[in-house]
Amino acid sequence: MFLASLLVGAARADEAFIPNQSSDDLTIVDLGAMTPGAALPIGGKPAGIAVSRDGARAYVTSPEGHFVSVVDARARRVLKRIAFDGQPFGVAVSPDGRRLYVADMNGRELLEIDPDSEKTRRVEIGAMPSGVAATPDGRLVIAAARDDNALVVIDAENFARVATIAVGRHPYGVTIDASGRRAYTANVESDDVSVIDLAERKLIANARVGSHPYGVALAKGRAFVANQYAETVSVFDAATLAPLATIKVGEYPESVGVSRDGGTIYVTNWFSNDLWSIDAESYRITGKAATGDGPRAFGAFVRAVD
Amino acid sequence: MSFVIPRRALIVAAVALIPAAAFAHGPSRQKVVEKIEIDAPPAKVWAIVGNFGDLSWLPGVAKTEGTGGNTPDQAKRKLTLANGGVIEETLTKYDEAGQSLSYKIDSVDVKILPVNNYSSTITVKDVGGKTEVEWKGAFYRGFMNNDPPPELSDEASLKAVTDLYKAGLASLKAKAEAK
Repeated sequence: MFLASLLVGAARADEAFIPNQSSDDLTIVDLGAMTPGAALPIGGKPAGIAVSRDGARAYVTSPEGHFVSVVDARARRVLKRIAFDGQPFGVAVSPDGRRLYVADMNGRELLEIDPDSEKTRRVEIGAMPSGVAATPDGRLVIAAARDDNALVVIDAENFARVATIAVGRHPYGVTIDASGRRAYTANVESDDVSVIDLAERKLIANARVGSHPYGVALAKGRAFVANQYAETVSVFDAATLAPLATIKVGEYPESVGVSRDGGTIYVTNWFSNDLWSIDAESYRITGKAATGDGPRAFGAFVRAVD
Repeated sequence: MSFVIPRRALIVAAVALIPAAAFAHGPSRQKVVEKIEIDAPPAKVWAIVGNFGDLSWLPGVAKTEGTGGNTPDQAKRKLTLANGGVIEETLTKYDEAGQSLSYKIDSVDVKILPVNNYSSTITVKDVGGKTEVEWKGAFYRGFMNNDPPPELSDEASLKAVTDLYKAGLASLKAKAEAK
């Protein structure tokens, strides 16, 4: 065992950090072998996840427990819980790892939290703040105001709202591309994905996907979108927005992630309690790993392992 | 079989005054899976289950008014319950070969069934000439914000849907196994 892990130590694969809402824990999946490892107890019906860019920390929101768990991702240990006055849901971490952005689902605000000092700043987002993402340069934070059918752009330095962009009906997950030029949000009620030009701060177009889309991942110049009711992943060309494929996946797929090399897509299936891997080129299903009960993993759940 | 909990109807009615539009996506989504073995060929069971416009096999349903046949997103059915309650549903998926259909509830009063955002799938499977029917549901509890009253809690929604599926599957079994 020990020898084996030493030998493969140089080429460790990424990991997925999957909060399971029904079983109240966090499953860590080795994405190379597609095998689940430790399940960390979390509590409070965990749903949202963000992993720091350096892979050191994972942050898990517990909407019903009213706290955010700070997880030492290497040691697989919960370091502390940050109390949250509201229902913490969507979460993102700044590229430098020094700030958390947490949406209060039943309130109207996005909170910036310093995970060390727990100092906070607040900004109004609107009705039902849900998905959150930060641009790769750390300058902007984008949050979905689900019930306002809008994406809100926040200046990270002043933590002030700089734009509100009307999108489709009930935007949920938010994903920003590697260049920081575009944001994508899945509109649960209008069955499409709104593509936003972040410099212009305007809607480029809505790309049609399947029924009840939740999460979006980007790889190989394509967008991969989990459709919860259709139980598929829709693929479209990120430049032309032309539809490319529809991939049948597990039951009630929700969150989508991508490997660091862009070669593999991962999708969580809330009802069937598993994580599937999909080849981003051939669209073939390449693996399945069991999770806990009710995997949500709302956010960026893939951890880079060095 | 009853959809209603009469003793609690008054409390529930008060809660139901909160406008539906104000419901957030608050609590955790719940799931229920119930299965039953039926001593009848799958085709016979699917002939009953696979007709979306007829839910007469479900106890408590007095009348089904179906339109749109079995075409997903077009087929709708309106259930009038024996107790007067009304449930409106839309077919979302129909897999003839896989003997499976999915639907969602478009409107129901939480007094009738204490759920929100309810979707469901029924699948008929061949197990060596006999049949296994699996009925799955995904939904939120009746009260979408914090601190629900007991009759609109996660537990209450789980119990209501579990009881519904159990009673429905038992009735389906009796009907399919009848000569």
